[in-house]
Amino acid sequence: MSSVLQKLITPLASNASETPRNKVTVVGVGQVGMACAVSILLRDLCDELALVDVMEDRLKGEMMDLQHGSLFLKTSKIVADKDYAVTANSRLVVVTAGVRQQEGESRLNLVQRNVNVFKAIIPQIIKYSPNCTIVVVSNPVDVLTYVTWKLSGLPKHRVIGSGTNLDSARFRYLMAERLGIHASSFNGWVLGEHGDTSVPVWSGANVAGVNLQKLNPDIGTDADKEQWKATHKAVVDSAYEVIKLKGYTNWAIGLSVADLTESILKNMSRVHPVSTMVKDMYGIGEEVFLSLPCVLNSSGVGSVVNMTLTEGEVAQLRKSADTLWGIQKDLKDL
Amino acid sequence: MSTEKLLSRVMEAEPVGSRSKVTVVGVGMVGMASAVSVLLKDLCDELALVDVMEDKLRGEAMDLQHGALFLKTPRIVADKDYSVTANSKVVVVTAGARQQEGESRLNLVQRNVNIFKFIIPNIVKYSPHCILLVVSNPVDILTYVAWKLSGFPRHRVIGSGTNLDSARFRHLMGEKFQLHPSSCHGWIIGEHGDSSVAVWSGVNVAGVSLQKLNPKMGAEDDGERWKDVHKKVVDGAYEVIRLKGYTSWAIGMSVADLVESLLKNLHRVHPVSTLVQGLHGVKDEVFLSVPCILGSGGLTDVVHMTLKPEEEEQLRKSAETLWGVQKELIL
Repeated sequence: MSSVLQKLITPLASNASETPRNKVTVVGVGQVGMACAVSILLRDLCDELALVDVMEDRLKGEMMDLQHGSLFLKTSKIVADKDYAVTANSRLVVVTAGVRQQEGESRLNLVQRNVNVFKAIIPQIIKYSPNCTIVVVSNPVDVLTYVTWKLSGLPKHRVIGSGTNLDSARFRYLMAERLGIHASSFNGWVLGEHGDTSVPVWSGANVAGVNLQKLNPDIGTDADKEQWKATHKAVVDSAYEVIKLKGYTNWAIGLSVADLTESILKNMSRVHPVSTMVKDMYGIGEEVFLSLPCVLNSSGVGSVVNMTLTEGEVAQLRKSADTLWGIQKDLKDL
Repeated sequence: MSTEKLLSRVMEAEPVGSRSKVTVVGVGMVGMASAVSVLLKDLCDELALVDVMEDKLRGEAMDLQHGALFLKTPRIVADKDYSVTANSKVVVVTAGARQQEGESRLNLVQRNVNIFKFIIPNIVKYSPHCILLVVSNPVDILTYVAWKLSGFPRHRVIGSGTNLDSARFRHLMGEKFQLHPSSCHGWIIGEHGDSSVAVWSGVNVAGVSLQKLNPKMGAEDDGERWKDVHKKVVDGAYEVIRLKGYTSWAIGMSVADLVESLLKNLHRVHPVSTLVQGLHGVKDEVFLSVPCILGSGGLTDVVHMTLKPEEEEQLRKSAETLWGVQKELIL
């Protein structure tokens, strides 16, 4: 007795290769990983999504919950497993996994613990997707992007840290709000180290090409009557604020990762502030990763925009580089 | 001041009101998944969030606002005061208590009625012409409660009902046939949850009735065990809850799907919970899911399904159970 399937459908070329062309893997199904996954799915960016984590029940539950929404999506395959074989042939791998800072823990200790986690993750990613591009989101992102680069053996243009992409998005939103315009119409770049010592490049801040520093030469300084510096401070503080209020942040970082994903998968060559290897730029002598405006395409970082920075801004970048190298040089087992 | 040098006002500063505002009540996992799905589909020009937990509410709103660069929804607001919800076109209600271990359905419902007694009048006060979309469980009963408490006409009070059950069914059907769920048609109606009804006669691909190919479909002696597919739909929610603690993404996406039909006046047919008194032999004022047409006016029409006697019997039984609970409620 032939089944309904056999009576309904006559196969013509069912054995034709169905290798995914735009597969994305998200490593880590915590709040950040799932926000990245959902943003990527709802933007129709990939034809296959793979999720990996060590917590098997949670992983399966998240996969099922996404699959139950497949009617509303255009991503035909959503898979998940703790075995990395499920990630094979990914074009892009988003790494959100990692341990969080314990109370009183030094940054070096946190990083060393995350190195150990990444040692289990990164080689597995490369094994199954040797030609992928990796976007590192886990914190401290600049150091962990370096760690990923070292552990993966990938060329530097294929390892990107989400860096100050979110800081810049927050900056543009907060600045735009003060002016009553949409964030996308306010152009401003926050570069360097993601976090407390990020650098807002005031000389570049503009609306429709009109340079704000020309309108207000004190902008960003303590002497500034309009206190625009406070807006950058709000950017730095915003992560802490959201964490204090709801326990973590996820939606904004998820949306920003989807934005990077779009540029990479669609070979768009858009410029994003992301963490890249900056040795030999701005007088930096060490192998550190900091955020600069990078042209992102299907190869990863195609090129870096040579930002015109003031002496003060260059000094800040060099200081960040020294701090990062101070941590990186003591890492074991890289 | 910089702004004066930068911008010259053309229009006198009169805030232009929003034209397609959506409010989500409750910023738990379901509420936020619904909010994010609505935002990522560019459905509204203003999103309002309400909850009683003020810190969490503020944190969620900030997190969404920080993504403004990547969105096309210029206003995202939040407050525990409902004035922030004024002039909404659609209000999605996800708030409510979850069932405690060993708690009777009636007790859970009464607890949620008390919550709704605060929420619904506040919604109505600030958006007297809105469409209420109830998601909180038990959804069929709570949609009835929302209808009673709001005083709205029945076409503006909709329960998410079996919209998600049907989506899950179509996903499973798609897996069976290696087809996209949108090409697999099947309707699950009636009571959302354990006693939902899979209408086998309507299940089709490209108009080809699967029951005509397999007359035993859905029966106990069906070699293809389609009944198990329906069981998997019913169990699906419990399994996800067991594995990750709650469900969010699928229900969020299904809510956005409904909101899209309502805001864009699409007149699409969705299985959602509506007043079925007078249909399929149901005598009481109960809400059950049947295929309904959704547009900017709300739930404008109901599609008459030709059901088998046993399917209608199931609907009537559900109606009796629901009425049994509803008549004990203190509204």
